[in-house]
Amino acid sequence: MNHIKNIVVNILYLIQGMYVTILNFFRKKLTEQYPENRGKVFPYSRFRGTLVMFHNWKNQHRCTACGICQLNCPNGTIKIITKNELSEITGSCKRVLDKYIYDVGSCTFCSICTTNCPQNAITWETGFEHAIFNRSRLYKKLNKENSSLIKNGKI
Amino acid sequence: MKIIEELLMQFSLSVSKITDKIYTVSISKEKLRQTVVFLKNNEKLLFDFLVDIIGVDYEDSFGVIYNLSSTQFPAYTVLVKTHTNDRKNPHFDSIFDLWQSAGLYEREIHDFFGIKFINNVDMRRLFLRQDWCGYPFRKDYDPSLEVNHIPFSNEKLTDMEKINDGDSIFEKNDFVVNFGPQHPSTHGVLHLRIVLDGEIIKKIDPNFGYIHRGIEKMCETYTYQQLLHLTERLDYLSGSINRHGMCLVVEKGLGLEVPDRASYVRIIIDELTRIASHLLGWGCMAMDMGSITAFIYGMRDRENIMSIFEETCGARLMANYNVIGGIINDIHPNFQRKIKRFIPYMRKMLKEHHFLFTNNPIANGRMKNVGYLSKEQAISLGATGPTGRASGWSNDVRKIDPYSAYKYVDFKEILRTDGLTFDRYIVRLDEIEESLKIIEQLIDNIPSGAYVTKTKTIIKLPEGEFYQRVEGARGEFSIFICSRGDKYPYRVKFRSPCIPLVNALKSIAIGTKIADLVMLGGSLDYVVPCIDR
Amino acid sequence: MFHFSIVLNCVDKFLHVYFTDSCVLFIDFFLVGIFILVFYAVLALVLIYLERKICAFFQCRLGPMRVGPFGIFQPVADMIKILLKEVIKINGVDVFLFRLAIYLVIIASMCTFGAIPFDRGLHVIDFNMGVFYFLSISSIGVVGILLAGWASNNKYTIIGAMRSGAQLISYELSCGLSLMIIVILSGSLKLSVIVEQQFYVWNIFRGGIPTIIAFIVYLISGHAETNRGPFDLPEAESELTAGYHTEYSGIQFGFFYLAEYLNMFIVAAIASTLFLGGWMPLHIIGWDLFNEIMDHIPPIIWLFSKIFVCIFLALWVRWTMPRLRIDQLLKLEWKILMPISLVNILFMFFWMMYL
Repeated sequence: MNHIKNIVVNILYLIQGMYVTILNFFRKKLTEQYPENRGKVFPYSRFRGTLVMFHNWKNQHRCTACGICQLNCPNGTIKIITKNELSEITGSCKRVLDKYIYDVGSCTFCSICTTNCPQNAITWETGFEHAIFNRSRLYKKLNKENSSLIKNGKI
Repeated sequence: MKIIEELLMQFSLSVSKITDKIYTVSISKEKLRQTVVFLKNNEKLLFDFLVDIIGVDYEDSFGVIYNLSSTQFPAYTVLVKTHTNDRKNPHFDSIFDLWQSAGLYEREIHDFFGIKFINNVDMRRLFLRQDWCGYPFRKDYDPSLEVNHIPFSNEKLTDMEKINDGDSIFEKNDFVVNFGPQHPSTHGVLHLRIVLDGEIIKKIDPNFGYIHRGIEKMCETYTYQQLLHLTERLDYLSGSINRHGMCLVVEKGLGLEVPDRASYVRIIIDELTRIASHLLGWGCMAMDMGSITAFIYGMRDRENIMSIFEETCGARLMANYNVIGGIINDIHPNFQRKIKRFIPYMRKMLKEHHFLFTNNPIANGRMKNVGYLSKEQAISLGATGPTGRASGWSNDVRKIDPYSAYKYVDFKEILRTDGLTFDRYIVRLDEIEESLKIIEQLIDNIPSGAYVTKTKTIIKLPEGEFYQRVEGARGEFSIFICSRGDKYPYRVKFRSPCIPLVNALKSIAIGTKIADLVMLGGSLDYVVPCIDR
Repeated sequence: MFHFSIVLNCVDKFLHVYFTDSCVLFIDFFLVGIFILVFYAVLALVLIYLERKICAFFQCRLGPMRVGPFGIFQPVADMIKILLKEVIKINGVDVFLFRLAIYLVIIASMCTFGAIPFDRGLHVIDFNMGVFYFLSISSIGVVGILLAGWASNNKYTIIGAMRSGAQLISYELSCGLSLMIIVILSGSLKLSVIVEQQFYVWNIFRGGIPTIIAFIVYLISGHAETNRGPFDLPEAESELTAGYHTEYSGIQFGFFYLAEYLNMFIVAAIASTLFLGGWMPLHIIGWDLFNEIMDHIPPIIWLFSKIFVCIFLALWVRWTMPRLRIDQLLKLEWKILMPISLVNILFMFFWMMYL
């Protein structure tokens, strides 16, 4: 008798499980149809997607090429190439940023560079589409063409 | 504790304290075994939990530190230090017969430092290839490619099974099946070689190192801020907890006071991580048993936590939220609201999970009466976390040695006594409920104020040894840092909670079937990057 | 009432005008063969799509959505892919048996498929002992699976094949015994007779409690025969990667895949033919108007909706339950289903004699 009771109870439990699945059968589906809903969903604003350098409308950035980010990066992701520029006012040579190279391929998004930047020149943006066909395109130049340092630190 | 001090004084000359709960005992290498046996068997002390064995290269000598914890006084830790000046042929007495966990730890030290442990017959390399030249954790190790070429061939299976005297660990007529490293259910790249008799398992030989990244070695060349992000990549499912531990040990070393706000938020994040990890563990175990739907449901609920992380921390898995001195940025305005919405949702879903899987007679039949792990065995193996608690071993670090804000919260340590697969399973689900309770208590009481204490740009830990343990999702995760006052640590050692779990699999899976092996792996819930480091 | 037999007779008469008798027979065979093959393949595609979609819905997903509207061409794309894939040659394989295994599996499934009565007269062959034919021909499949596992020369496949052998042979017993209940009830082994008998009441209602028990037992053991759901031990992907067909690739794997899905269909079809009235509409004695309306729905739709209900049930179970262990699986058969079926036959006997 106990045996039969056991079987009945177990069958009830099985039905209980099947009830849960049929409940989910009619629930709202969670799948994100990514390329179709592109432009409709965004990651949250704090999302560390890609490193960018802020430029204002005059094509000026805040990077003084001090190299702290390059020094702090654990993976050698950032490479700062500088050049010497002749200042028109004082007539002396000054070290300025030439190329700010950032390698997404080896970045671990630890954000030591952004927190340690004394000028807040680099920040995170939410772009997450890093997939590309050519590995060399993982190296990004963050400063724009012909950009210069912001005067007086103002934007 | 006076009693511990007195007893330690009895037979050793130099007892010192790191903090008020951690003692260091320095002894000569001849007295090592005697000391350890005394500590283990003394009824008043009962230091019978071998947390870890740590190898250190002091440049002039090799040191081995035995990290012992007591089941009598679980908050206290004794570091038994010993060293040898013989750099050519360093050797120590083995203690593999005293603890089941010791064998693998000794193999690891042999692998990294080239230290031989006398009497331990199984002195194969643990993580590196058997034909690797040199011992990478020695300070005079030559990492150049001329010494170790990048190999283009696989390691031979016969090399993997040869122990000291050239014998194979398998017998001649054994039916050996390679379970992994590419296998649908090894939870990563774990390579188990199992001897089968029909469907019944006779012997298991785990083989690690397929994703060994040398994180501990990397840490020696990184500053303290830089090495934080590596800790998350150990046990990636409880990444925030690991990182919390690393921050705590550095803060301890610096004597840094963390703002209350930061420690509250840290704990909320930790508990969310734990829920996420347990949900995934639940789902993976269900999937190992063939119920793929349950896995998807687990992932679905975890997704809510991931989205909270994304909003507040800026990333989904590698949250990257704890920094030395606090947290990287303040909580998002939506943080509290979202969590308050998540808690009732999770409770409802937990009930559904019980309906779907816990009560299922097939699942019950599979999980009950399989994989018995006794309390003594769990302690001897060092199987902490939910696995140990299912066997009745109270080992929750949050309870026995509360860190951060855990002393302010009220929660229950889930303990079960049977030690079966079903208990390990149910402990996880109950812990989700407890974690929800912790979050519920904290979420409305996050104190205002600063969220981070400013530190110097270059952090230099004072000379000495620092040790901190935290409760990861899989068990006790502890960090040992040996510093020489530099901006780089001299030696960092992470205690992986997962190595003992694989070791436990080795002993509890004998006599069960292949199907059970997969399920037991799911119930122990090890994460391979944590093992390989 | 429209029946396919009318169409078939027309075709037959049309051919008779132009050809001799033996020639017509040959052409008939040819046409039927082509028809069965095409139907078999199309059905498999539909089933694959259904399974993927239903499984996704159970799991809060959307399933295939890319190829065509709602992904309805996904199985077609999959089929093209599988046809184009390279068939990998494996060292150390018993080539003859390795190849033979696939054909045994697919032939067994196709032969069973042919004997299903889809409509009055829409029947490839109507054996006098149709039920018996089902049972015997479907057990050829197990030979194929055993051969596949053994010939692959792989440890996982041999474990899968051994499991499968034990499983299929055991479950055949309770499968057969529960079908015997229907044979006792209708007194015939001929499928068309069994279906015609269910004109007024379906067998499951006609036979009372014993048939209901037999139906449940048949569903469970039939499900086990198809290697699916909680009984997918031979190919338990979390344990044995893919079980007996681990080493097969390309179209060779495609055959196993096809056979697996069609077996699911066949089990559902047998269940609906023998227990749920086959292509007979639902008739309730006394409700004449209701019966009239039901008669207007074509029989083929009746059959397929019944089959679909059975398949949905199978999928529902499959995507809910965890997998059994091999000893539990055999215990379920030999200690629970088998005694129940045996007692059930006695019960049926008394039911027929005294009620």
